[in-house]
Amino acid sequence: MTIQTTHSSNSPAAQQPAMPVENIIAIKDLSVKFEVAGGFVFGLKNVNVSVPRGQIIGIVGESGSGKSTLIYTLTQLMAENAVIDSGSADMDGEDLLAKTPRQMQQLLGQDIAMIFQDPMTSLNPVFSIEKQMTDIQYRLNLSYSEKKQRAIDALTRVGIPNPELRLPRFPHEFSGGQLQRICIAMALMAKPKLLIADEPTTALDASLEVQIIDLLKELQAEIGCSMIFVSHHLGVVGTLCDYTVVMYHGDVVEQGPTVDVFNNPQHAYTQRLLACDPARIKEPTKRLPTMSSEGTEHIAIPSGSYLASQLTEQNTHPENSAEHLLDIDELRIRFPIQSKLAALISGNKDPYLHAVKGVSLTLDAGETLAIVGESGSGKTTVAQAILGLNQPWSGKIHFQGKELLSMEAKARGKTRRDIAMMFQDPISSLSPRMKIADLITEPLVIHGLPFDSRAQEAKRLLGMVGLPLDFANRYPHQLSGGQARRVGVARALAQSPKLIVADEPTAGLDVSVQGEILNLLNQLQEDLNIAILIITHNLNIVRHVADRTLIMNMGDIVEQGETQGIFANPQHSYTKQLLAANVHPDPV
Amino acid sequence: MWLFLLKRSALAVLIVILAVTALYLMIHAIPGDPASIILGPRATDEMKAALYIKMGLDQPVYMQLLSFFGNILSGDLGYDVFSQRDVSDIVFEQLPWTLALIFCAIVWAALVGIPLGCYSAIYANTWFDTITGIISVGTIAIPSFVVAIYSLLIFSVTLHWLPAIGAGERGDVLSQLEHLILPAFAVGLGWVGYISRLVRSSMLEVLGSNHIRTAKAFGLPSRWITFRYALRLAILPTVTLLGVGIGYLLSASLFAEIVFARPGIGKLIFDAVSTRNYPVVMGAVLVTTALFVIATTLADFINALLDPRMRAKR
Repeated sequence: MTIQTTHSSNSPAAQQPAMPVENIIAIKDLSVKFEVAGGFVFGLKNVNVSVPRGQIIGIVGESGSGKSTLIYTLTQLMAENAVIDSGSADMDGEDLLAKTPRQMQQLLGQDIAMIFQDPMTSLNPVFSIEKQMTDIQYRLNLSYSEKKQRAIDALTRVGIPNPELRLPRFPHEFSGGQLQRICIAMALMAKPKLLIADEPTTALDASLEVQIIDLLKELQAEIGCSMIFVSHHLGVVGTLCDYTVVMYHGDVVEQGPTVDVFNNPQHAYTQRLLACDPARIKEPTKRLPTMSSEGTEHIAIPSGSYLASQLTEQNTHPENSAEHLLDIDELRIRFPIQSKLAALISGNKDPYLHAVKGVSLTLDAGETLAIVGESGSGKTTVAQAILGLNQPWSGKIHFQGKELLSMEAKARGKTRRDIAMMFQDPISSLSPRMKIADLITEPLVIHGLPFDSRAQEAKRLLGMVGLPLDFANRYPHQLSGGQARRVGVARALAQSPKLIVADEPTAGLDVSVQGEILNLLNQLQEDLNIAILIITHNLNIVRHVADRTLIMNMGDIVEQGETQGIFANPQHSYTKQLLAANVHPDPV
Repeated sequence: MWLFLLKRSALAVLIVILAVTALYLMIHAIPGDPASIILGPRATDEMKAALYIKMGLDQPVYMQLLSFFGNILSGDLGYDVFSQRDVSDIVFEQLPWTLALIFCAIVWAALVGIPLGCYSAIYANTWFDTITGIISVGTIAIPSFVVAIYSLLIFSVTLHWLPAIGAGERGDVLSQLEHLILPAFAVGLGWVGYISRLVRSSMLEVLGSNHIRTAKAFGLPSRWITFRYALRLAILPTVTLLGVGIGYLLSASLFAEIVFARPGIGKLIFDAVSTRNYPVVMGAVLVTTALFVIATTLADFINALLDPRMRAKR
């Protein structure tokens, strides 16, 4: 085979004997650096990768490992401050890096096609699918109706129902999964020699992910193109790709046939990366391995702090054991989808979307409950109801024995102090103009913390979530995804809550950072006896953090019970389907 | 789409009704007896009473308001006792001059400002962008009457290229256009800066978005991407600005009209206020308000036409 590890000397076994496979792309000694204020930062360091014709090659690595830099360098779509230092990328004997922008434009959309990460934003919102799909055929000497027919054929191929009717529609009228299918159809129409897919399933639900991967695999075989598949999801790469390239800090640390890389990783980084994947850890554990440390450091709570005093107070006044911390009874939430007048005119007796159809659950202090479901299952709506962010139609929510829904707004505000929220998108849920110190102490100030003790509290909270103290003066855009998530935890902890509601706490994080965040939550729970409600669609993490799991589908609870029991012996067909849709962690 | 049009139009009518009601009540809250103002200090009580009945002032306020709306609907904006003419005649005589001025000013500002903004975004942080930025902020900062006075001094008084005052001979289109150049330049200059800055920032945002990357990845020509794919989105905030701008200029063109001694709505209102000619003020402001609402509503319609997400919203 042609995949060779030339750079990385510490992965000798990756040196495979040469096989007569022709390459579609041979990247040699590629180095890319980024111009930043006061110098350069390396993006890629002497990368050597070859893509065999007709094969699928997977590139894995954490964010910042250079995997995206690599594919955007190949297609000359990289950021403006990127400078190619050295190297070449031959495609059919021609160096892609030496091409002028005009020559590159000729290749793109013909020989090379791309599929991107977020289908929701990858299409122009003000143009119909029809216009966008016919526009990209501008080079073809066809009549408009022929181009339209090609678009219809491509949409049919990727499984969009009624393509003739859907074609004049706009992107916002499609679901995420459908949009990704449309993007794939666009790439398919180009009949490329090389298809580059940049995290095409990251933004999708687990069951959609499997469908998209199957579709990509089918189409790749059908067109006979080569494919570069970039992902941080090890399971997906293992299932889909013939070859795997592992990148770390701009280096290729290991490459070879997927089966070899997964079953017999040579480089220490690959070994750790595989070990960190929660999907690959067979035994449920509350201490997930992470990249940074062998064990997980235990963060001590400084004695004499506000939190420590709260803690002792809590411990000396144990809750009445007969009473649950959170007790939701037959919660129903509906949203109007038609105005009352329109419903009256059209005779629609039920003009509502029933998002939550009678959900009951309990949660005790020190316990973690996971609500699992796909998008649209109503899991986030339940969480919002607990926080008072929406108006349930019927049902009861008891928190610490008090009914929240019938409570007056003022009394409810007091109770709210004991419930904290960790939001899904960590960076955009932090105000970009505020410093971290101000952000994490904001809940305290709202609830009456004196202004001068702010800095001290900020230090305490940063220490608890394991962030260096000088982070207090940083702004959100200076944080990585994992660090922003830690700030989210710190902000949730600020009011020393009894319950933390975490909405997709690990979405968009690399496996090792996922582990860090989950460990942090687990450990804080142990120390502070907090109840945690996790809302997620990621089954792999649920197994390791949740004591009990509750599966939701279309607003209904389909199954609930001990996490281990559900995983070992799912009862409901939907649960079985969900577990089956979870991408298998190992190559098959 | 039709539902959106209907709702938006209904809202526009409602806004006009509310604005006119507020205006009517405000005028009536002004102290002083209109009859004594109109008839002068030597009027007898009988004369005043007769005029009261003639003007409908003996009716309760809501009846007055109702008949006022009724009159508006039949095109009657009132009667100007000073010139002994219908207010609607006076207003609609002046309106075309102002509309022509605003139209020319906004069009030239848009024609220059939009490409300037586009190229500033494409060549962001180059010398071209920096110079356009300085000039744009400069034109925003200079008040339009200063531009008017200086352009008058330079191009008419010193260079004799263009006529100084008036609006041109009646019926002579060429002369009217010649008289339009300087005022339109003065009124539009600040808007060049506004538009170019706004287009630049929204264009920068759009050019950095994922769907533009997709268009590039499919090898669409770069001019196509910039001027069809990106501009279509980046222009949306500018359309709104232009709608508000037209409404704003209805009264802001006053400076240019005074400096260049042009007829127009602004000058009409100014003169009417100076002579306490309330029926004319009322009628002129009413027409301006209606035009303002029409302009912003039109901008909303154009936005809805350009952006399918907007149509879907309501």
